[in-house]
Amino acid sequence: MSKGLFKFPLYLIVHPFNGFWDLKYERSKKANLILSMLILFLLVITNVMSSQYSGFLVRLYNPAEMNSLMEVLYVVVPVLFWCVANWSLTTLMDGEGKFVEIFTSTCFALIPMILINFPWIWLSNVISLQETAFYSFSGNIAVCWSLYLLFVGNMTVHQFTPSKTIGTMLLSVAAMGFMAFLCMLFFSLIQQVVSFFSILYQEIVLR
Amino acid sequence: MKIVRRATLCLLAALGCLAGLIGGGEIARAEPGSYHYSFWGDTVVAPAAYKATALLSGEGLGIGAFKEPDDLYVSADGLIYVLDSGNNRIVVLDSQFKPVRMIDSFVRDGQADTFANPQGIFVTERNDIIVADTGHQRVVHLDAEGKLVKIVEAPKSEMLNANFAFQPVRVAADRAQRIYVMSSGVFDGFMEFNADGEFTSFMGANKVQVDPADYFWKMLSTRKQRSQMIMFTPTEFTNLDIDDEGFIYATNGDRFGDTIKKLNAQGNDILRREGYFSPRGDIRFSPAVGPSRLIDIDVGDSDMYSVLDSNKGRIFTYNGDGHFMYEFGGLGNQLGEFNTPTAIERVGEDFLVLDKALGEITVFRTTEYGRTLNEAVRSYYRGDEDKAYEMYQKTINMNANLEFAYVGIGKALLRQGDYAEAMKYFKRGKDQKNYSKAFLLYRKEVLRERFPVIMTVAAVLAIGFLLARKFRIINRGKKVAANEQRAV
Repeated sequence: MSKGLFKFPLYLIVHPFNGFWDLKYERSKKANLILSMLILFLLVITNVMSSQYSGFLVRLYNPAEMNSLMEVLYVVVPVLFWCVANWSLTTLMDGEGKFVEIFTSTCFALIPMILINFPWIWLSNVISLQETAFYSFSGNIAVCWSLYLLFVGNMTVHQFTPSKTIGTMLLSVAAMGFMAFLCMLFFSLIQQVVSFFSILYQEIVLR
Repeated sequence: MKIVRRATLCLLAALGCLAGLIGGGEIARAEPGSYHYSFWGDTVVAPAAYKATALLSGEGLGIGAFKEPDDLYVSADGLIYVLDSGNNRIVVLDSQFKPVRMIDSFVRDGQADTFANPQGIFVTERNDIIVADTGHQRVVHLDAEGKLVKIVEAPKSEMLNANFAFQPVRVAADRAQRIYVMSSGVFDGFMEFNADGEFTSFMGANKVQVDPADYFWKMLSTRKQRSQMIMFTPTEFTNLDIDDEGFIYATNGDRFGDTIKKLNAQGNDILRREGYFSPRGDIRFSPAVGPSRLIDIDVGDSDMYSVLDSNKGRIFTYNGDGHFMYEFGGLGNQLGEFNTPTAIERVGEDFLVLDKALGEITVFRTTEYGRTLNEAVRSYYRGDEDKAYEMYQKTINMNANLEFAYVGIGKALLRQGDYAEAMKYFKRGKDQKNYSKAFLLYRKEVLRERFPVIMTVAAVLAIGFLLARKFRIINRGKKVAANEQRAV
C-alpha cells in the first residue's frame, strides 16, 4: 500500500488521463487528501528553500524582504482561490466534480513544480551565467507541464469537453481576480469597523 | 515614510557611533547626514568623505564683499578664479586662498571695456580666461595677462532664427581652442565656436521629454487650446565642464531621464552607467521636494565627476563607471551647508562650493575615508590593482556598505587567481557577471583537482550498477526455475 501511495503521483504526472481517472473513481478519498496536503507542503518547502538557497546567479534577493510565512501564503492562497473559483463556476456549468476532487486534482497537478524545481535549488549553485538559460528553461517546462496536468485534471474531474474546460479555466482565473478584489474590500471594511470600535473603547476608557 | 527613514537613519547613525566607540579609532564615525545607497536602493549610513573646514568671503579676503557671484573655476596650476558677477569682476586667488589679482576691465581697441553681469567663466590650460559676458550678450576671451584675445558676439547663421537672442551663461573650451557656449533659451544644445570665434554648430541637444499625462491632455484639446499650451521643447542644459580628453560633461534640469551626460565630438552621450543606479543625484526623495536638480558639474582626475544639486544643496560624486562614491553638503545655516549653492570646483583633493546669495565660498577637505576612497578609485583607474585592492580593503573597513568596493577587491583577487575568495567578494558586491567569471574558473580548478576521485567514483558506480543488474537477472532466472519446478 505505502509503496503504491508514493508511486501513484509519479504515475499520474506521466499518464494524466488514466491517473486522474483513477484519482476520481478508483482511489480512496482520504489517501488522496493526505497526499494533496503533502504535495502542498512540499511545494511550500521548495519555494522557501529556493528563495534561500538558490544560486546567486539565478536569484538576487533582498534578505530583508524574505519571509517564509509569506511564501506559504503565496502557495496556499492561490490554490484555495483557484479551487473555490473553479468549484463555484463548474457547479453552475454542470461539472461533475466535488470540491474535494477539484482540490486533489489541482494539488496533484502541481507535482512537476516540485520535481523539477527542487533539484535545481542545488544545481543552480553550480552553474555559470550562460548556463542559467537551462534553469529558466526547466522552470518554464515545469509550469507548462503543471498547466497541462491542471487542464487534464479539470477535464476528467468535471467530465467536460476540452474546449469547455479551457473556457471554465479562463473564467476561473477571472473569478479569482474578482474574489481577490472582494477580499480586499472585505478586509478594509473590517479594518474600519475594528478601528471604529477600538476608538469607541478608547473614548469611553479615557473619559 | 520620511520620518521613518529619518528615524532609521538616526538609529543607524547611533549604532555606528556606538560601534565606533567600541571598536576604537579604526572605524570612521558616521556623521549624521552622510549616506550611501545600497544595491536595493535603501539609504544606508556612510562616513563623511568631506568636511567643511573654512568659509571664504570677500570681506575676509580684504577685497570687498562678493555680490551674487555666479561661477568659479580652478585652473590647471591651482589658481582659483571667482566670477563676482554683481561687481562685474574676476577675483583670482592662489591655492592658499590669498587674493592675487583682480580683473574688472580689459582694453578693447584702445578703450577700457568692462563686463556686465557675467555668469560663466572658464580658464584654459594656457590660463586664458573665457568669460560669458551675459549682460553684453558676448563671450570675452582674455589671455593670461588679461589682454583681449577675441570677442565672440551674437553669431549670424542660417541655423539660427531671425529673432535669436545670444545670452551666454556658461562657457568651456577644449585644447583646440574651440569654445562651447551654453546660451539661455537655446534648446538645440551647446553652441560651438571655432578658434576664430565663428559659430560652427550646435551639439548634444537633449531629447524631448514628454509627460504622458500632459500628452494625453494635449491630444484631447483643440488646436486653438493647444496653441496656448506650453510647447514640448527639449530641456536646456544647466551646466558643462570639459575633461582632459575633450569630452564635455553636461547636466540638465530634467525631472527624469539621464540628467548627466558625457558628450563626445559628435554630441553623443557616452557616459558609463554601470553602477547600481544611473547617476542622477538622489534616488530616494519625497514627492513634495522632487528629484535632484543638477546645476553644476565638475570633472576631476581618473574620470571622477561631481554634480551639485540645487534642490537639497548636496554634492554627489561618481566614478568613471557611474558608481556612486559619496555625498556631502546640504542646505542650512551651519558650516558645510549652503543657502543657494551655484558652483562647485575641485582644488586638488579639496572642494570649493560657491554660494550665490551669501557670497561665500565653502572649502571642503577630505577625511581619511574620502582620501582612501579617492585613492582606491584612482589606483583602479590606473590599472594598479594591488594598490586598489589594499585601498578598497581599507575603505570597506571604514564603510561596509560600499558595495562597489567589494567588486574592486574581487577583481584584484580574480587576477591573483584566488577564485573562491573572489566569488565571495563579487557576491557581496552583487556583481553577477564577474561572479560567473570567477565561478567558471573555480569550477574548472576544482574539477581538475578532483578528476581522479570523480572518475573512480563514476567507474565504481557503473560497475556496481552492471553487477546489480546481472545479479537481478540471475535471481529472476532462479525464481522462474523455482516456479517451473513448483508447477511440475
